Amino acid sequence: MSFLVLQNIKKSFGQVQVVKDFNMSIEKGEFISFLGPSGCGKTTILRMVAGFETPSDGTIVINGKDQSRLKTNQRNIGMVFQAYALFPNMNVFDNVAFGLKVAGKSKAEIGPRVTEMLKLIHLEHLADRYPYQMSGGQQQRVALARALAPMPQVLLLDEPLSALDAKIRVSLREEIRQIQRQLGITTIFVTHDQEEALSISDRIVVMNAGRADQIGTPSEIYNRPTTRFVASFVGTLNMIEAVVADPANNTVKIGEQTVTLREPIAERKGGDALTLALRPEAGSIAEGAKGDTALSGDVVSSHFLGSVIRTRISVGGNQVSFDMFNAPDVKQPAPGERVTLRFAATDLLVVRE
Amino acid sequence: MKIHKFFAWLALAIGLIYFFVPLIAVFEFSLRMRRGVYSFDAYQSVFSDIQFRETFGFSMLMALLTIVFGMLLVVPTAYWVRLRVPQVRPLIEFITLMPLVIPAIVIVFGYLRLYNSSSWLPFTGSIQGTNALLVLSYMTLSLPYMYRSVDTAMRAIDVRTLTEAAEILGARWTTIMFRCIFPNVMSGVLSGAFITFAIVMGEFTMAALLNRPAFGPYLQLVGANKAYEPSALAIIAFAITWLSMGLLQLVSRFSKMAPSRP
Repeated sequence: MSFLVLQNIKKSFGQVQVVKDFNMSIEKGEFISFLGPSGCGKTTILRMVAGFETPSDGTIVINGKDQSRLKTNQRNIGMVFQAYALFPNMNVFDNVAFGLKVAGKSKAEIGPRVTEMLKLIHLEHLADRYPYQMSGGQQQRVALARALAPMPQVLLLDEPLSALDAKIRVSLREEIRQIQRQLGITTIFVTHDQEEALSISDRIVVMNAGRADQIGTPSEIYNRPTTRFVASFVGTLNMIEAVVADPANNTVKIGEQTVTLREPIAERKGGDALTLALRPEAGSIAEGAKGDTALSGDVVSSHFLGSVIRTRISVGGNQVSFDMFNAPDVKQPAPGERVTLRFAATDLLVVRE
Repeated sequence: MKIHKFFAWLALAIGLIYFFVPLIAVFEFSLRMRRGVYSFDAYQSVFSDIQFRETFGFSMLMALLTIVFGMLLVVPTAYWVRLRVPQVRPLIEFITLMPLVIPAIVIVFGYLRLYNSSSWLPFTGSIQGTNALLVLSYMTLSLPYMYRSVDTAMRAIDVRTLTEAAEILGARWTTIMFRCIFPNVMSGVLSGAFITFAIVMGEFTMAALLNRPAFGPYLQLVGANKAYEPSALAIIAFAITWLSMGLLQLVSRFSKMAPSRP
């Protein structure tokens, strides 16, 4: 049995159902990210695991034990909040020691454990500082140490990087992942930032309107989005409207051009509308570019963005963007120019609504 | 621009004269006890009066008890209103403002009707009971100031997240309240405490009608029977109030427990 199981979880606030029949199993030591826009229910699920909210229906099992009857303070869960939530009246040492003191640990146990945690976050020299004397990044690292000190069975991270500036965000997320791997602690990370989720997770749950639209590894989520929502929410994706030409041969028409798909579409009828997705980095217009599939179109616009050149072409009523890596010899396409975009048929994905 | 500045200074000067001239006059009068020369005889007379020491001590004790019990009532109430029942906030604010609108004499007559020696709760049947009733009535009087100062201090910290952070670390209700919330609203608690102290030290109506030997009735008694001592007592009462205000300023200025916040 998995370490953390969320079974048929539902949650309603009044008439509004914010979590709709959510199911998931998480293995011990896994790093799971809940990714989705505001109001999709990701934080509500996290708060139900913590015990701050009670599910309207369903069960939460951690290490084989049903958590339904346990209060928050009985669950042995660590949590890091977006707003740090350090106790302003306590210094760093006392903040980290708080959970251990509450658990009735002796001074002989507390001292070394707090020192160990402060070493882990590289802040042992700031043990006497108060929260107001520290930067946001330092405060959040202390909050992480405080959450980890009592050795929780699960670590919950509720958008812990949202309040930090971009540079600190990147370094801290790498630090969080490294600490999580080192301790092997099962972690749920809530974020609305796709880059954060893609960069540090073992698996990602893409949430939409209270449901998990797709659960998969970062690569699966990015390269094989199964719904239109996932495709549009994760990364920049071209949505191409097509019409089924011959279901038996997997061919579709994009404008006047016929393309053969790798994914079977035999269950559809000829003439059915279909949405295809293509990543901007999947294609190339360079001469001799690899790819068994091609689409021709007129260049609508082309922008130089430093490391890449982003070009938009018009193909059968669709606007398709693609990126080329910048190099001194790369020629930027001119608007109105006719180009042929080549890519692998496997990169063209059929998306569900 | 210059004319505006002139009128601003003029208004300030008028205000200061209106406030300070009577005060200086009272102070000057309090020094005239010895004929022909200025002296602190009136103050000496006040301080050597055993009744002054008794009533001052009694009022101090009442003030301390009011502060302690008032805080034990107000801090958890403000906390629960903020955290669990924010919808009753307007009602609580209305209740805490009532003592400002209902005269103290009405409140104390209500108490005497409800808690007299032949009632279900005969507070006035014994001295200790009457003292307890006096503390309760002082708590009522100080409610508008206590509640507001504590509530403002709570607004400055994220009570909900701090509570959740403590809860998930295994803390129970009492630990959360006394180790995480109380210390962080201490500046508000102390502000409320100093205002309460100033109110209780000079309060007359409640103590007089409950017939307790407090400082307020003593002030009135001395005022009715002596010439120079009332002026000295008025200055002493002012000094107490100003000391409380000064301490209040000091506490709010040196309160370093800024909230942890992004």
